[in-house]
Amino acid sequence: MPRNRTVRFAVLGSSVQRAAASGHPSSRSSALKRRIIVGGLVLLSLVLITVSFRSSALDGAQGTAASILRPFEVAADRVSRPFRDAAGWLHGLANAKAENKKLRLQVQTLQQQRIHDESAVQENVQLRAQLGYHGPPSIANFRRVSAAVLVNPQSAIDESITIAAGSHDGVASGDVVITAQGLVGTVDKAWGSQSRVTLLTDSQSAVTSTDLTSRAAVGIVRRGGGGSDVLIFDLVPKARYVALDDTVITAGSIGKGALPSMFPGGIPVGTVSSTSENDINTYKTIQVEPFVNFATLQSVIVLVPRR
Amino acid sequence: MDGLKAALVLFVAALFQLAVLTEYNPFRASSIVLVALLSVALLRGSIFGALAGFGTGLLLDTATLGTLGVTSLLLSVAGFWIGRYGETTARDRFHAPFLSVAVVTLLYSYGQLALRFVLGESAPAGLVTHGLLLGLFLNLLLTLPVYALIRRLFPPLDLGDRVREVRLLG
Repeated sequence: MPRNRTVRFAVLGSSVQRAAASGHPSSRSSALKRRIIVGGLVLLSLVLITVSFRSSALDGAQGTAASILRPFEVAADRVSRPFRDAAGWLHGLANAKAENKKLRLQVQTLQQQRIHDESAVQENVQLRAQLGYHGPPSIANFRRVSAAVLVNPQSAIDESITIAAGSHDGVASGDVVITAQGLVGTVDKAWGSQSRVTLLTDSQSAVTSTDLTSRAAVGIVRRGGGGSDVLIFDLVPKARYVALDDTVITAGSIGKGALPSMFPGGIPVGTVSSTSENDINTYKTIQVEPFVNFATLQSVIVLVPRR
Repeated sequence: MDGLKAALVLFVAALFQLAVLTEYNPFRASSIVLVALLSVALLRGSIFGALAGFGTGLLLDTATLGTLGVTSLLLSVAGFWIGRYGETTARDRFHAPFLSVAVVTLLYSYGQLALRFVLGESAPAGLVTHGLLLGLFLNLLLTLPVYALIRRLFPPLDLGDRVREVRLLG
């Protein structure tokens, strides 16, 4: 039905043209103009998606634009930091007493553990030197590039972060990203001075891992199914023993396959928070609580292979 | 002048979203950019809303190093649609910003999910649905102050300036 652009007074039965208005660009525009503009924007968006997704033609421009935005992001971060620190301080204060008790117990246990570990490490170094043993790649074989986290995950379904290190620092796609606590993920794409990191909690991330106290229990740590944000330690045979609170670490490359693991061995992943098995599943059902809090990362370390 | 003001408001909102809100886990579900954009679109119409949405989306995609155009597409459509609502039915209705934010939050979440699915990225529908209520609540909470602020910056235009197409029924 065609639009009638006149105001018709029912009583008089005559049509009156409304005076041209000023001030509102959208309403002055005709319906056709409006449709052309929105159609053009949608089309432009689709072209951008296609070009950005299928090629790297826009990477340079995007990297430059992101670099221009970076000082603003840093400034906003600095402005908000006192408030964040205050919130953290208040939160810490509320839990301080309970945490203090827990940490004192932990310190006692760890002091005993440290003495055992130190003698084991020294023994290990001596034996390796005597045997001339060359083990699989470990974290020591990588150069460490420290970087600040510029942008944290934007929504519940976004499992990526932006970091302030890129190809200029030697970072490349596929490099492993860690923190002092444990494994974070891998570099998805590297620009000049920034990179996008896919977190371990992304459904497309997975890492070959093992139980630190039961090295024969090897499986894959990946995101759990459904809507949960939990990691699972999958493909661990029922015959292997995995206990609660065991530490799960990356297994590195096992054997001499054609496709070695991109993760060096020995990176902490998390602790076993639950374990169960039933007659239907071939493998154990193991949930892992990650060491890293992926939502509030401040800085990370990129492991760059020594090329 | 309105264009410059809108650019500044949406730029600040985007920075706030990127640098502050995402630092606190519960606030990751909210989107101050979406609320600010819808407020601007309601007050300045469909074309303004669509252009503002496109620019804001491009800014977010650039800052997060995401696939360019994804957020632009969603925000252009959202800005246009709510702008059109503002030009027609929503005039002087108190509930208009709240209704707009509620509906668009819902559609934006699932639209984002659908686009991720089409692009072959992870698209956990359960996670989106699970976090939707919190996101909706936080966005509605943000609507009152954000809309009040933006209404001061973009005073509503006279009725004569806004309505030109009138069709009488009967």
